[in-house]
Amino acid sequence: MYPLAPAAAVLLALMVGAFFLVVAGHDPITVYRVMMRSSFGSTPAVINTLVSATPLILTGLAALVCFRVRLWNIGAEGQLYVGAILASGVALWFGDRLGAPIAITVTIFAGALGGTLFVALPALARSWLGTNEIITTLLLNFVALLLMNWLIFGSRSYWRDPVGTFPQGKRIPSAAEFPRLGDTRLHLGLLVALVAVLLVWLMLTRTRFGFHMRVFGDSEKAARYVGISARRMILMAFLISGALAGVAGAIDVGGLSRRLDPNSLAIGLGYAGIIVAALSRLNPGGVVLVAILIGGVRNAGTALQALPERVPMEIAVMLEGAILIFALSSEVFIRYRIRWPWSAHRAITGSPFAAIPTGGDRA
Amino acid sequence: MTSLTDGGAVEPPALEVRGIVKRFPGTLANDDVALTVRSGQVCAILGENGAGKSTLASILSGLYQPDRGEIFRRGNPVTLRSPREALGLGIGMVHQHFRLVNRFTVAENVALGDPSQPFFMSTPKVHRSIAAIGDFYDLPIEPSAVVADLSVGEQQRVEIVKTLYRGADVLILDEPTSVLTPQETESLFATIRKMTAEGKAVIFISHKLREVREISDVVTVMRSARVVGTVPPITAVEELARLMVGRDVDMSVRRRRAPGGDRVLELSGIHVDRQSRRGGLTGVSLEVTAGEIVGVAGVAGNGQRQLAEVAAGLLLPSEGRVIVGGSDITGRGPRAARTAGLAYVPEDRRSTGLAPSLTIAENLQLTSPHRPILNRRHWHSHARSLMDEYDIRAPGPNSVTSDLSGGNIQKVLLARELSTNPLAIVSASPTQGLDVGAIASVRKLLFEHCARGSGVLLITEDLEEIMELSDRVVVLYEGRIVHEGPTSETDVTEVGLAMAGAMRVS
Repeated sequence: MYPLAPAAAVLLALMVGAFFLVVAGHDPITVYRVMMRSSFGSTPAVINTLVSATPLILTGLAALVCFRVRLWNIGAEGQLYVGAILASGVALWFGDRLGAPIAITVTIFAGALGGTLFVALPALARSWLGTNEIITTLLLNFVALLLMNWLIFGSRSYWRDPVGTFPQGKRIPSAAEFPRLGDTRLHLGLLVALVAVLLVWLMLTRTRFGFHMRVFGDSEKAARYVGISARRMILMAFLISGALAGVAGAIDVGGLSRRLDPNSLAIGLGYAGIIVAALSRLNPGGVVLVAILIGGVRNAGTALQALPERVPMEIAVMLEGAILIFALSSEVFIRYRIRWPWSAHRAITGSPFAAIPTGGDRA
Repeated sequence: MTSLTDGGAVEPPALEVRGIVKRFPGTLANDDVALTVRSGQVCAILGENGAGKSTLASILSGLYQPDRGEIFRRGNPVTLRSPREALGLGIGMVHQHFRLVNRFTVAENVALGDPSQPFFMSTPKVHRSIAAIGDFYDLPIEPSAVVADLSVGEQQRVEIVKTLYRGADVLILDEPTSVLTPQETESLFATIRKMTAEGKAVIFISHKLREVREISDVVTVMRSARVVGTVPPITAVEELARLMVGRDVDMSVRRRRAPGGDRVLELSGIHVDRQSRRGGLTGVSLEVTAGEIVGVAGVAGNGQRQLAEVAAGLLLPSEGRVIVGGSDITGRGPRAARTAGLAYVPEDRRSTGLAPSLTIAENLQLTSPHRPILNRRHWHSHARSLMDEYDIRAPGPNSVTSDLSGGNIQKVLLARELSTNPLAIVSASPTQGLDVGAIASVRKLLFEHCARGSGVLLITEDLEEIMELSDRVVVLYEGRIVHEGPTSETDVTEVGLAMAGAMRVS
C-alpha cells in the first residue's frame, strides 16, 4: 500500500550519509557516484553485487519467515555459521566418493540441517517455555562464532587445513564445488536463493501451512480459535528460518570460499538479513530487490577505499544502519499522525480512531 | 435547540457547548453539536453506537480537541487541552472502560494524579476523604482494598469517588450501566440523585431508552454525529427510538417457539480450574435442544468465557463431558467440535473469530478443512455467494476484513459459522456494539437457524437481550449455575439478584 516508504527510507539514509561525508571533508556527490559505479556501473560490478546479494536473499528470507509470525529470530548469523560448519564437514567427509550433482545437493542440505539444529534450541525454549527468543538467538550467535573460530584458528580440527602454517579451512573436494558462471565469482548459490524465494512465496500463498501461518501472524487468538497449535507454528517458523540461514552458510562454502572460511562468513550477513526483511515489508519478492540494493551498498564500501582521498569504508556500514532506522521509523509515520504539542487544536490525536490505518486523509 | 425544563433560568449553565465539529480520518464524528448542561440536573445523551456520543464526551473531558466550536463553563469561554485542565475546571469523566491501576489500592488510585498531593503521599488524609465522600453519596468503598480484587460495580464506584475527590461538579458518565446488574444500576441511580441534589450536573451517556427515561431531567438525542433533538424524559419510548434511529423501529422481535427436539449440545459436570484473574467453572451442567435458545446471563467475568470455550473445544475442562449432537468431543479440540456440528461465534469477533488483516474470502475459509496444498479457485465465488446471502456490504471478497463496519464484520463471522448448518451455535454477545439495523439482522439469522433445528447457547451480559430472545435462562455466578428456568416464568428482578450472587445455591 505504501511502496514509497522503503524508497524514502533509502533516500533519507543517503542524506544522513551525505551530512557525515561533508563533515569528514568529502564531496558526497562524488562518493555516491563512485559507489553507484562500483556496484551497478558495469557488468563485473553488477556481478559482484549479485554475489554479495546471494547470501542476503537467504538470510533475508530467514528473517522474513519468523517476522511473519512475529517471532524475532536475531540468530540467522549463528545459524549461518553452523550451517557452513556442517556443510563443509559433510563435504569433506564424503570427499570424492560422490558425483558432483549429488555432492552439491548434499552440501546444501547439510547446511540447512546445521541451521535447523542450531535454531532448534531457542525454538524449543520459546515454544515450550516461552523464553524470549531475541535474547537466546542473539547470544547463540556468539557461541556459533566462537565455535567456528576455534575450529579453524584454535585447534587442529577436522575442518582445518593440516598443511601450511597459516590457519585456514581444508579445501572441500571439487565435486562439492558449485559451478560458476564463466570465470566470474557468480555461482550456483544465486539460483538456489531464487528457488528458495519461490518456495517461500508458494508456501505462504498456496499451502495450508502458509495460510495458517498468516492467520497466526495476524492474530494468535484467531489461530487458537481455528485450532492451529501455537507451539507447532512457532517451532516450524523457527526451523524453516534456521534452514534458510544454514543454506546461506552452505553456499558460501560451496560457491565462494570452497572451505570453512570465518573471514568470508563473519561479515554480518545474518544481521543484514534483518534489514533486508524489514525493507522488503516481509514480501519474498521484495527480498530479492532489497538484497541486491544492500549487496550493492556493501560492495561499494571496498571501492571507496580505493578513492584517492581514501573515504572510509565504514560509510557503507553506516548507510546500511541508517536505511534500517529510517525503514523502521517509516512504519510509525505510516500508522500514526504526528501531533505537535504546540498546535493542539489542529492536530489529530493518537486516538483509537486515528490509529486505524484507513489510508484516507483528514479533509 | 436548547430547551429548558425549569423555564428562563438566570444562572448560566454549568456547561454549554456550541457548534462542536470533530472529524477523524474518514468520518465526521461530531457535526455542529450543541449541548446545555445545568447544575442540579441529569442531562442524558442518547444515541446509537457511532452516533458521536463518546466523541462529544471526550471533547467535554479534554481528551480530544474539537476542530471547531466553543465550550462555556458557567458562561465563560474555556479551552480544554487535556483531561487535567478539564478536571481543574471541575469537569470529570467516568469512562466506560475504567482507567484504574489494578495493582494499586483504592486510595492510591484516587490520589494518583492529584496535583495537591505532596511528594510523599499523605495516605490517612486520602483515606478520610474517600470515607467522607463514600458516606455522603452512598458509595461505600474500602480505601485500602486493591482494585484488582474489586467487582466491576465497585471499580466503577472508585472511578466516581476519584472524580468527586478531585472536586468535579460536572460528571460525565459514559455508558455507566453497561457493566452493572439491575440492582447495582439502582444504587448508581441513587448516587446520581444525591449528586444532583447537591447541585452537581451529570451527563449520562447511554443507548438504553428505559434508563434514560428513568434518570434524566433532559434528553439530548444524537444520530450520525448530529444532535437531532432535545426532549423531556417523559417522551414515549417509541418516539425516543425513532429519534435515535431516524425511522420507525419495531421494538418487538418475536418468533414462534419451536417444539423441543433432540439434545444438540450437552455439558455435564464441567469443572474448570480457576486461574489467576480468570474465573473457573464449578459443576456446570446444561443442555440445549434443537430449536431452542438458552440464554446465559451473568456479570462479565463469572465464567461465561470459559463456558463458551469449553463448549467450543478450545478449553479442556478438568472434569466433565461435552457432547455435541451425540458425539463426545471432550478434549478433542476445536476442529473436532466443528466437525461434530458446533459453531462458535466468539464475543471478540474482530481478532478471535476472524483474522483482521486477511480478506473476507480468506476469513470465510478460516475454519474449513483444507488439503496441504490449497485449492483457492472456489474461494472467491464462495465468498461472493455468502456475501449475497448474508448481505455483507463490502467492495468485494478481497476486501480486508478490518476495514468493514462492525455489523458487516459480524455478518462475515456469522456467514462462516452458520453456513455450515451447525447443530449447535454458541454465540457470545452477538449484537454488542452493533447498530439497530445490524442487531435486527443478527437476531433474525439466529431465529432462522433455530427454526431449521439448530440449538443456540446465547451468552451475553445484555439481560434485555436474554429476556427477549431465549426460551430458557441460566444465570452464572462465580462459575456456578445459580438460577435456571424457562424465560416465561422468570422475573428480571430474580435474574438480577442471581447475577449479583444473592441466590447462591450450595
